[in-house]
Amino acid sequence: MKSIGKFATASLLASLLAVPAAYAGETLDRVMSTKTLTMSSDPEYPPQSFLNDNNQMDGFDVDVGKEIAKRMGVELKIVTPSWDIITAGNWGGRWDMSVGSMTPTAKRAEVLDFPAVYYYTPAAFAVHKDSAVDSLDDLNGKTIGSCGGCTYDAYLMKDLEIDAEGAPAFSYDVTAGEIKTYETDTHAFDDLKLGDGTRLDAAFSALPTIQEAIKNGYPLKVVGKPAFYEPLSVATDKGDPEFDAKIAEIVAAMKADGTLKQLSEKWYGVDLTSLQ
Amino acid sequence: MTLESARESPWFSRATLFVVAAAVLTALGLGGTAVGDLFSPLLGLRAPDAPVSFWAGFGRDLLVGLVLGVAFVANLEFIRLLLFRHQVLVVWAELLALFYGFVLTFDRDFGVIFEVGRSGVSNLYFLITTGAFTTLYVSLIAIVIACVLALAGALGKLSSNGAAYAVATFYISFFRGTPLLLQVVLIYTGLAQLGFVMEAVPAGITALSLCYGAYMAEIFRAGIQGVPGGQREAAKALGVPEGLIFRKVVFPQAMRLIVPPTGNQFIAMLKDSSLVSVVGVWELTRTAQILGKRDFQVFEFLIAAAVIYWVMSVVFEILQSRLEAYYGKGQRR
Repeated sequence: MKSIGKFATASLLASLLAVPAAYAGETLDRVMSTKTLTMSSDPEYPPQSFLNDNNQMDGFDVDVGKEIAKRMGVELKIVTPSWDIITAGNWGGRWDMSVGSMTPTAKRAEVLDFPAVYYYTPAAFAVHKDSAVDSLDDLNGKTIGSCGGCTYDAYLMKDLEIDAEGAPAFSYDVTAGEIKTYETDTHAFDDLKLGDGTRLDAAFSALPTIQEAIKNGYPLKVVGKPAFYEPLSVATDKGDPEFDAKIAEIVAAMKADGTLKQLSEKWYGVDLTSLQ
Repeated sequence: MTLESARESPWFSRATLFVVAAAVLTALGLGGTAVGDLFSPLLGLRAPDAPVSFWAGFGRDLLVGLVLGVAFVANLEFIRLLLFRHQVLVVWAELLALFYGFVLTFDRDFGVIFEVGRSGVSNLYFLITTGAFTTLYVSLIAIVIACVLALAGALGKLSSNGAAYAVATFYISFFRGTPLLLQVVLIYTGLAQLGFVMEAVPAGITALSLCYGAYMAEIFRAGIQGVPGGQREAAKALGVPEGLIFRKVVFPQAMRLIVPPTGNQFIAMLKDSSLVSVVGVWELTRTAQILGKRDFQVFEFLIAAAVIYWVMSVVFEILQSRLEAYYGKGQRR
């Protein structure tokens, strides 16, 4: 009797906590019936996504999102929950997909689905332009900043696992003396800007982000070759394989007809959508 | 003149103040600043960037310290001559000017705040209409709900009913004892997990209301308990109906005690509402960060946001003092 009671409580709890976020086809049905595809995006991550001088969301990720919506024949709506909220999963239908340059790691795939890799970002180290560091070896033992809980952080901790198909192999070439993590990579640039070694010796981030900072007058320089290439994927909430299939199909078509390559060249100046 | 009488002389205190001020200002080493540059020719220092010998440098620091010390004491003497109101205005203006000078030393391009983009509106306009407006209406709705929750919580805590007391203390304990940021995430993502899906703004308002309601319940309780028991007894003796005693006698008097700390809470909430941005609400801090991140000028926009928060707080400080005067009218003679 007792064990049955326990079991009943446990299954009640389980059923309460394990409500699936979406049933098969639910997301796709919602998108098609409301004629709106809602995408989550980070408004503070130029040139992937940011608020342009027309006070509208713009950037590579936003353009990819717009193109996906266009090919579905629906309107794109953008919401801006924080990274923590997006990666917590259980979106509850408040948005349908994230085109947010997210790397599909094994652990993340337990929370979200990653239907389509749409480009690859080189990860690179940046130092202050007055720094004496000029190779990856020189970075060993230095204080390095990155975003917290992201792939750059994981790489520095030597705990990076990228399980996306076709992700290129990499090695851990740098052992940081101290790792300082920030809410987002660009805060690390601000600390590096204060001077060589003032708070940081180096920052580890996406190469396009570093180049964008340099373009905006940050006194930084890139060190050595990219440490690794990370595949970046569209993410969706768990539980709607039909919606995932639709996204995968559209992204594949965008890759095939050169649209993705064109968008990459528009925003990054180079083609990052296929591995060199 | 004995030492005793010398100490009582106003000139003694002025001289002491001058010596202390000049010493501190000299120790700060302000020779390299714009004021120091005025004296450079006197000491034979011509090029501003040329290396400075120790004694010439110290001489310049000392000169600047002495001059600023004189200015400081003269300024205090000037202020002493004014009426209280004018003293307040002059000191406020001086502190503001110092703050302005301090911000200018950051050597940032604050012009960007007023820049007009392709959308035809200036960044400041966008910051106010999108950010400050959201902050304001989220905080205003939340403080109203929080007041209701606080009153309920206070009455529960003063109740002789065990269940009401337990619910109130549990509520107050939980929402005071956990971080607001986690409450926002719990309400937005946690409740969604249970099938109760709320949009960002309502979720943020709910979290702010619950959290501040808990803090303010204690303020309300203290306010209600602060009304002397004799007031209630007197009302009873006059035959005021039981139901009216709280509303007409106790509560208006409690409000006198409740208003100042509640105004405090509201001003704190104006700024705490920035935590709601994690779920994607574009309130003032978030909007400043977003605008700033566009061209990597976050610092400029955060300063602008700080000034806007400050202006809003000042407005509510004034409103609070009006409200205090209203509820305090029974105390005036």
